[in-house]
Amino acid sequence: MGKVNNNVPLEYSTEENSLKIFGFWTFLGAEIMLFGTLFASYFTLVDRTGNGPTAAEIFEITPVLAETFILLTSSFTIGLAIHAMRLGSKKATLTFMGITLLLGAAFLGVEIYEFVHYAHVGAGITVSAFTSILLTTLGTHGLHVTFGLFWGIFLMIQIAKRGLTSVTAGKAFVFSLYWHFLDVVWIFIFSFIYLKGMM
Amino acid sequence: MAKFFPIGQIMGFVFSLILTVIAMLVYFTDMSFTTGMIILLVTAFIQAGLQFMVFMHAGETEDKWAIYSNIIYGIGLIVLTILGTLLILIWDM
Repeated sequence: MGKVNNNVPLEYSTEENSLKIFGFWTFLGAEIMLFGTLFASYFTLVDRTGNGPTAAEIFEITPVLAETFILLTSSFTIGLAIHAMRLGSKKATLTFMGITLLLGAAFLGVEIYEFVHYAHVGAGITVSAFTSILLTTLGTHGLHVTFGLFWGIFLMIQIAKRGLTSVTAGKAFVFSLYWHFLDVVWIFIFSFIYLKGMM
Repeated sequence: MAKFFPIGQIMGFVFSLILTVIAMLVYFTDMSFTTGMIILLVTAFIQAGLQFMVFMHAGETEDKWAIYSNIIYGIGLIVLTILGTLLILIWDM
């Protein structure tokens, strides 16, 4: 660990932390490309439904709205976790992280319900170009949320054990960036896959 | 307790809820495809900007211009990729 700067929040207090946080922003830049190419493919294939159902036939507004508000709220609570971390409260940080992960799990629960629904109405991944790209795009986002859940659980264990140090604070901040980014991706899925498809 | 709920983040959250409700209008009201798409584009990009600035603290540190240019570069590339794809494969120009 390098020099400790006490004038900035704990997660930025060392040179190494600042570089890691910037490195993570660079990773998010690559994630924009990943999801963006999925969107480009989705827009190309959305009307190639073959003998399968169309977007308007299989989308249901209720689970989509539930997912949207759950993820939006979890993005708020992970923001509060970082705020609590900057106030130096380990308990509040862990509480808000816990709420965030519970909301993340709820989101996944609704998404799994949704995927089962798609399978039931004959929109499995092999049915048409449309269902393939739809489930690939949603699935890529869902996998990211799943990965984030486990990441968050292990991070909470580490913070509980070691407290808020420059190392754990840096990790928590990077995790919060990841979680907010998943919400940003979801906003685009909500707008340009679901709402556009049901308009 | 109040210190754990900063006004800036609460405002950010309320604003993101309002933007979501506005976006929902394209489903719950009857409007043309073009109007709907314009509303969705505007609300989605404002929401994304809100997340970056309020919740991800993008503008807080000395390396903020490195962060901005990284994200703007990513968004620029992907807008070109998506528009190029639509141009050739969908709009058939």
